[in-house]
Amino acid sequence: MLRTSVVAFCLLAMPVLAEGENVVIAPPAEGSVSTEDGLQAWARIYEVASHPRCSNCHVGADNRPMWSGPSYGNARPHGMNINAGDSRIGAETILCSTCHVERDGLNDVPHAAPQVAMAWQLAPVEAEWFGKSSVEICNQLRDPERNGGRDHLDLAIHLDHDLILHWAWNPGGGREPAPYSLQDHVNDVLTWGVAGFPCEGD
Amino acid sequence: MRLTVNGKEHEVDVEDDMPLLWVLRDELGLTGTKYGCGIAQCGACTVHMDGFAVRSCQVPAASADGTEVVTIEGLGTPETLHAVQEAWVEHQVAQCGYCQSGQIMQAASLLSLNAEPTDDDIDVAMSGNLCRCGTYPRIRAAVKTAAQKLQEA
Ligand code: FES
Ligand code: FES
Repeated sequence: MLRTSVVAFCLLAMPVLAEGENVVIAPPAEGSVSTEDGLQAWARIYEVASHPRCSNCHVGADNRPMWSGPSYGNARPHGMNINAGDSRIGAETILCSTCHVERDGLNDVPHAAPQVAMAWQLAPVEAEWFGKSSVEICNQLRDPERNGGRDHLDLAIHLDHDLILHWAWNPGGGREPAPYSLQDHVNDVLTWGVAGFPCEGD
Repeated sequence: MRLTVNGKEHEVDVEDDMPLLWVLRDELGLTGTKYGCGIAQCGACTVHMDGFAVRSCQVPAASADGTEVVTIEGLGTPETLHAVQEAWVEHQVAQCGYCQSGQIMQAASLLSLNAEPTDDDIDVAMSGNLCRCGTYPRIRAAVKTAAQKLQEA
């Protein structure tokens, strides 16, 4: 009896609990996160967004992916003069999938092409992160005009589904993974959203 | 695994992670496709899979299962060359030749995506194909000739 009421209480306390395909999507209750805690969650989100595993493909309108991070030495544009074009997937000249072939599992060979079970591509140009400050990325990511019209739940679902994003935490080939974990990152996005998407300088 | 290579169906018994390049060369004896690096850095192994260029050294057999592959042996024949091959002969592009089947397959793929490539387009599409002999200026000229031939055809 006691146990049943504890379970019932927990269910009531959690407004939405969705078992995603790869992560649990469990936002904190509305109004339960302070702005300060939201900003702390954002600081961790920025560590992820600005990490080379993410920012290398979140590049600007020159459509040139980057090679940067501990396993690459100095930051430089993707070798072989690669340009993903306005299509962001290389459809104008050479598809990203020429080397980043769709495969189940991991291409773990050092210096070879990262591969996932999805068509490799750049993030949309609106989501330019490479070299951008925390405030700039924060304002982009909370702006529906520039984040694909997403609220925090939609962002979490996007993180749950997009296999290229999962790769960031399991890049193989001796590359440094993005910090924390996919689940931690989803939790931080939800916390930040419930806090009202605070950015420094608001 | 079952795949169609140059229009012919093949059943091959290989490990899921065997690179398509080895399937082509060692299992099917199609040695026109070359091995240069094995890590997507040189382009020598380029073939077409379902119509698009891929580095066959980067394609695990499991990903090639059920696809249609075209290699340099199937792009054209000595009697009816592909426009890219014709242009390559006219410009006498090849020197030692080792990189050239990859170059030709990549150029044919570029022209199927982009019928009138600019110099910049050609440089973007072809820079992943290395040539130790430095035939790059002739490659660029031949791609332009091939584009013209395809437009006139
Ligand atoms: S052998 Fe495949 S790219 Fe070099
Ligand atoms: S012709 Fe010799 S490597 Fe290109």
